[in-house]
Amino acid sequence: MDKEKKLKIGFYEFSGCAGDLLTIIHNEDYLLKVWNSAEIISFRLATSKRDEKANLDIAFVEGSITAEEQIEELRKIREKSRILIALGTCASFGGLQSMYSHLGDFSSRFNSIYPHKFTILKPIESKPLESYVKVDYFIPGCPIDFKLFLFNFTRLLRNLPVELPSYPVCIECKWQENNCLLLKKIPCLGPLTRAGCQARCPTHNLPCVGCFGPYEDLNLPSWLKTLQENNIPFKELEKKIRMFFGVKVKEILSKLKNKK
Amino acid sequence: MKAYKLKKEYLKEYLKSLEDFGEVWGPIKKGEIDVYEKITDYSLLNLNALRPILPLKKFLIPPKFNTFFYTKDGKYENALKEVKRKIVFGVHPCEIHALLTLDRLYKERYPDYYYLTHRKSTWIIALSCVPDDKCFARSLNTHFVEEGFDLGFTDLEDYYLVWVGSSEGDDLLRHRLDLFDEKITSKDLNRYIEWRKWRDNQYQLNLDLTAMPDIMELSYDLEIWNEIGERCLSCGTCSMICPTCTCFNIADHLGIDDEPGRRERFWDSCMLKIFALVAGGHNFREKRVDRVKLWYTHKLKAFITEFGKPACVGCGRCIANCPVNINVAEITKILKGEEVKK
Ligand code: SF4
Ligand code: SF4
Repeated sequence: MDKEKKLKIGFYEFSGCAGDLLTIIHNEDYLLKVWNSAEIISFRLATSKRDEKANLDIAFVEGSITAEEQIEELRKIREKSRILIALGTCASFGGLQSMYSHLGDFSSRFNSIYPHKFTILKPIESKPLESYVKVDYFIPGCPIDFKLFLFNFTRLLRNLPVELPSYPVCIECKWQENNCLLLKKIPCLGPLTRAGCQARCPTHNLPCVGCFGPYEDLNLPSWLKTLQENNIPFKELEKKIRMFFGVKVKEILSKLKNKK
Repeated sequence: MKAYKLKKEYLKEYLKSLEDFGEVWGPIKKGEIDVYEKITDYSLLNLNALRPILPLKKFLIPPKFNTFFYTKDGKYENALKEVKRKIVFGVHPCEIHALLTLDRLYKERYPDYYYLTHRKSTWIIALSCVPDDKCFARSLNTHFVEEGFDLGFTDLEDYYLVWVGSSEGDDLLRHRLDLFDEKITSKDLNRYIEWRKWRDNQYQLNLDLTAMPDIMELSYDLEIWNEIGERCLSCGTCSMICPTCTCFNIADHLGIDDEPGRRERFWDSCMLKIFALVAGGHNFREKRVDRVKLWYTHKLKAFITEFGKPACVGCGRCIANCPVNINVAEITKILKGEEVKK
């Protein structure tokens, strides 16, 4: 590709652990290739050289929005970008930091943890990017899977839409030839969670915790039923879903209530 | 078919010697389950394994593999020129029936280059088995094989009766003829016949599949299907582990920078919602229950119409692996109005 035609791309981060951007940086074999194939306008974790004024073809945004000041910043990124992508589970669903968002008023929860006056930023309830701006695509994962990122990065470079695995973790889990943990009534979130991780946790005999966020065709009632029948209380199962499914939990649980 | 005898104490030595032909694979324990693996330590071979979690199809159409590479200047390169020869030991009759089914699908009407390439280099050593409470091959008449293997071992306590099933099998056997005994007496034959009678009576799970296609047809609208549909997790496990499920999907991984692109083929499942989604947004099987119906119709009805026999071979994998207990045994019982445990 000649230089003029290279897409202008920016990487940004809000509240999170920077794990998604670090996943990109840590894949050193590919770092130069990523750099060579686009014009990187901003990537604070990797370079101090950046251009805040340039318009972007694609903005990859990691992290959730947890402070008022971030809303404005996010809007600015949105305005200058043709395509905005939520990178990682925080940006996509709100992340771990929105795990307790159902437990009453935010400020009382916040003050109980940080009793002293907070002066740097104005904290608000953690929400995913989509709560404030239009998000074109999501690439979930906590952190993202580099192969899945690369697959989509190369697609975006050629103006193709992002494509995520349209199947749950169980599929990859079987490819890894694991005995299903649900058979032993261990609450594995595999059938509820979008694949893309190569079923890492079940492959290490640990139940899936749902870090890639919900699989679009999950069957929560049946999953709950099979575990509840084995005396695992609803509360415990609900807590597991809340860990990574963020703002999606409300929607998923409301379907459950409608059914009852 | 010619037969020989092999003393049990020679088995491991014999199998190891087959490394001269290629990799030797067989069932090895992994926690509570078995997995076909390349054998390096022959003491790990599990001779009692009944159903390695992924069946033989994993050798013939691997869960995920590259079909070809392509470059920006329009050049293509085959990604699967040759496959290392694998000799798979410990394959049971029902799995060989599944293999013959795959052969029909991938070798006959639309010969599939990738299947053929893998198939050519996968040699099969069958091993007799004694069923557990999940095997129901006898109900499908797949509990015995006469073709589809290169060598066939029958366990007769202190020795194996070894049938030669192909010229490749003959090569394998002749490689260490010194370990085999060519003299088969009538005593051996009787022992074999007795063994078969005994073994064929060991099936604890017997399903009467008489008129199953008609039963499927007539029960298509039964309310009970909806309950099954609600129970299904749509996790796709059944399609991954069933030896006769063969659907696949394709993805193009575009190259980055100067890397070539690659086309990848990977297992798919009709249990997934997206499976029957077509351009324009219509989904033929949007509802879970429709997908479950399709799966069982395919196994127990449609395949019979097409190929004269069910797609199910009675291996019991769906019984052992579905986390919410949906499987061929359960479904046939339900449809026939029999009592099932919830
Ligand atoms: S262990 Fe978890 S991910 Fe694997 S098949 Fe079972 S439920 Fe699915
Ligand atoms: S349907 Fe079940 S028993 Fe039949 S071949 Fe498939 S996995 Fe085996």
